[in-house]
Amino acid sequence: MAKQLGFLVDTEKCIGCFSCEMACKNEYQTEVKPRWRRVYQQREASLPYPERNFMSLACNHCADPACLKVCPVGAYSKREDGIVLQDHARCIGCRLCTMACPYGAPQYNEKDRRVEKCQLCYQKVDRNEEPACVAACPVGALQLIKDLNSFPEPGTVKELPGFPDITITRPSVRFVPPRAGVQIRRDV
Amino acid sequence: MAYQLTRRSFLKGLAAGSALTALTAYGGLKYAAPAAAVEAGYPEAGAGAKVFRNVCPRNCYDTCSMLSYVKDGVLRKVSGDPVNTFTNGRLCVKGYTYTRRVYSPDRLKYPMKQEPRGSGKWQRISWDEALEIIARKILAIKKEYGSTLPICLNKYSGNFDILHYGIEGMMSSIGYTTRALGTPCWPAGIDAQTYDFGTLWNNDPEDLVNSRYIILWGVNPAWTSIHSMRFIYAAREKGAKIVAIDPIVTQTAAKADLYLQIKPSTDGALALGMARHILDNGWVDVEYLKANAVGWEEFFEYLRREVTLEWASKTTGIPAGVIADLAREYATTKPAAIWIGYGLQRHTNGGQNVRAIDALAAITGNVGKSGGGALYGHLETWGFNYAAMTMPKPAGAVGVKKPDGTMSDRFININNFGAELLNTNDPPIKMLWIACRNPLSQDPEPQVVQKAFETMDLVVTVDHFLTRTAAWSDIVLPATTHFEEYGVNASYWHYWVGINEQAIEPYFEAKNDVQIAMLLAAKLNALEPGSCTYPTSGNLEEWVGKEFNPKMLDLLGISDYRELKKGPRKAKLPPAAWADGKFRTPSGKIEIKSSEAPKYGLPALPIYVPEKQPSPEYPYRFFTPHWRYGLHSQFQNIDWMMNVSPEPYVEIHPATAAAKGIKDGDWVKVYNEIGYVTLKARITATTAPEVLVAYEAWYKDLNYNINYTVKAVPSDMGKKATGNRGLAFHDNFVNIEKVR
Repeated sequence: MAKQLGFLVDTEKCIGCFSCEMACKNEYQTEVKPRWRRVYQQREASLPYPERNFMSLACNHCADPACLKVCPVGAYSKREDGIVLQDHARCIGCRLCTMACPYGAPQYNEKDRRVEKCQLCYQKVDRNEEPACVAACPVGALQLIKDLNSFPEPGTVKELPGFPDITITRPSVRFVPPRAGVQIRRDV
Repeated sequence: MAYQLTRRSFLKGLAAGSALTALTAYGGLKYAAPAAAVEAGYPEAGAGAKVFRNVCPRNCYDTCSMLSYVKDGVLRKVSGDPVNTFTNGRLCVKGYTYTRRVYSPDRLKYPMKQEPRGSGKWQRISWDEALEIIARKILAIKKEYGSTLPICLNKYSGNFDILHYGIEGMMSSIGYTTRALGTPCWPAGIDAQTYDFGTLWNNDPEDLVNSRYIILWGVNPAWTSIHSMRFIYAAREKGAKIVAIDPIVTQTAAKADLYLQIKPSTDGALALGMARHILDNGWVDVEYLKANAVGWEEFFEYLRREVTLEWASKTTGIPAGVIADLAREYATTKPAAIWIGYGLQRHTNGGQNVRAIDALAAITGNVGKSGGGALYGHLETWGFNYAAMTMPKPAGAVGVKKPDGTMSDRFININNFGAELLNTNDPPIKMLWIACRNPLSQDPEPQVVQKAFETMDLVVTVDHFLTRTAAWSDIVLPATTHFEEYGVNASYWHYWVGINEQAIEPYFEAKNDVQIAMLLAAKLNALEPGSCTYPTSGNLEEWVGKEFNPKMLDLLGISDYRELKKGPRKAKLPPAAWADGKFRTPSGKIEIKSSEAPKYGLPALPIYVPEKQPSPEYPYRFFTPHWRYGLHSQFQNIDWMMNVSPEPYVEIHPATAAAKGIKDGDWVKVYNEIGYVTLKARITATTAPEVLVAYEAWYKDLNYNINYTVKAVPSDMGKKATGNRGLAFHDNFVNIEKVR
């Protein structure tokens, strides 16, 4: 099986500080609107602490990427290590990929009329450095999985409430589910 | 409002994706992307840049060591400096926006003059013209009133770099002036720890990893000191239990092993209830107290006489059994640390509550121990020369006569600034200089501050942006950011000290406070020789060099300040504060019975002082704490931040919302007898039924200011160490109604 890089999102540790999202913008000085990485605040009542749980998501560099399949000009490719790359110069801004991706990873940039997305800091990966978002996490809640094929799965899950059906594109992301401590509250 | 990933938006994307997948599936076909083209689309902003060392100068626990990446004279990106083992090469959501702050189209570029004040009719003027207006006004005031006392400085925490104290120096150099004295942030807790230990001195926060039990008491590091969370987690991984005590379910509370939802402002009752249970069960460290404390016998008499678990339970809203368990665990799991937050002391009994918690740490022998402590803050690494601040008065300067015949500046209370400006006479205040501050946004009762501004002849504000305060000034002067100036910074939490290098040229005509002082000195002396003592030459790096003394150099283990260009240094201090048992109180011991407190009209013992109660008209407490997206009125106005956090809201408990007929997203009015604020409702059980929460911030295009409802109610302590009592920000009571 080919190598597949991925992200581990430890929602037990994640404090929703948004540093990863902003570190990404800082690293590439992106336009205001695109959010290659985005921290989603979860309000689902089924979670232990609604409002205080977060999913930090970027491109999931899927095993079966929908963006790659729909792109009419072949701007997308998958590297040997599983990174889904977009060739920005080829993009014609048709936005089919933004509709195909279940995760909203490719985003249309109104300024240059093209789509852009997380490239998993492939330049850094090639230099054996951490992606900017991973390097920014103050608590180690966001990590790079070097190869999903050999990733020991115990304690992690492939889905969390609110996360789309993973059978569509087989996203390269794993989660540590949130954990609740004991709450002594006055409103119950 | 923070974005949320809803199932619906996912399904929408998913449906489209499925259809398109079916239409265009050419399974697994891959293209080799030309590497150069990919590169062209996604260049790394910091590639090929020269790297400088900086320190984030904001009023924040973490005071991050930073690196700035500069190419062709332009700041390309920022990162954390990995040399600092506390901030660990990481910044926060605010720090990563710095390129957008530096190059914001809203930044002030030139000195500007507004006529009339508040009209919005600004015109660009030269520095020379601005300084001419200011200098002539200073001299005219001196002539008319016989002193410079009608000139008032309000400067505080917008930039904590040591050179920025140069603006205080500038004021000193023209004569005796009026100063807004005190701190709104943390003075009650400072005084509490000063009464108990002699000063505030927290253990190295990196030492939290050695704790086996950590109580995060009224503090929310997940939002306000994110780098501390790593050490808290590390302690947990080694087996420590993490307890959070807070009236609201903060982000930190959600990460704790145990969360206790305490009634606001009753923290002292919980500490005392725990202390009584510890006393009853023989868990007191009597040997430690005998060697290190005074007044503990009287404290124990008070506990036996006045305090019971049941009383503590009734007062705090926490079940007695839970308090008993907490007391047992805290007293018997050693070492145990308590981090006392600034939030819990922003009450009319706040300092007293901190003293009760200090006593709890003392009677269990947790003070002076690695992994222990009653952590609040420290100033041990702030022993600079304050050379930019310390200036002689010009000859013949007239000030306020002191009983001993000498003269001094005149001090007014920073925490009741508007009223103090209006009520100060003989001579009245006629000119304001505002630096590193935004009182029309951040002060309580900004309505009164604005009224006071109307009585001024001249208001000068130095800032990066046209803040609320700048907008009501006659002259605004553009300030440099920390990337455009030299400086040196310490933290009031961690033990690191770093130099701040100038990485880029000043933005347009922006200048640093010391440079402004030097220019004004030259102008004043040209108009009236000898009227100002501030030096008129020296580059900022030289000014940084003047801040160091042998003691500071030794503390940092260096022989010259320039060594800090190789990286920030951690002060050579023991990991545990007070490990030597040499307390700085009059008795040299922990004064559980304080000898100093009664001199300020306060109880000698850490007895319980009842919390402030709401009135029937205004039954809800309105919390207006810090949040993750800003620091006071800084950062929320930056475009990247607006993209993540586009609008303010008030958090309302579901039960309260139901009783008031308020739904998520409704517009509501939060009001009391002094003002109101209209904003969107966010229904969430993270708050308590009687507590509403909205976050202080400055949105540049919104008329949003939570301080319109905040009265200048003083907290109980602060007078001794900081000159004035603090502010009981969290004893603010309001009502709420739906408007649409």
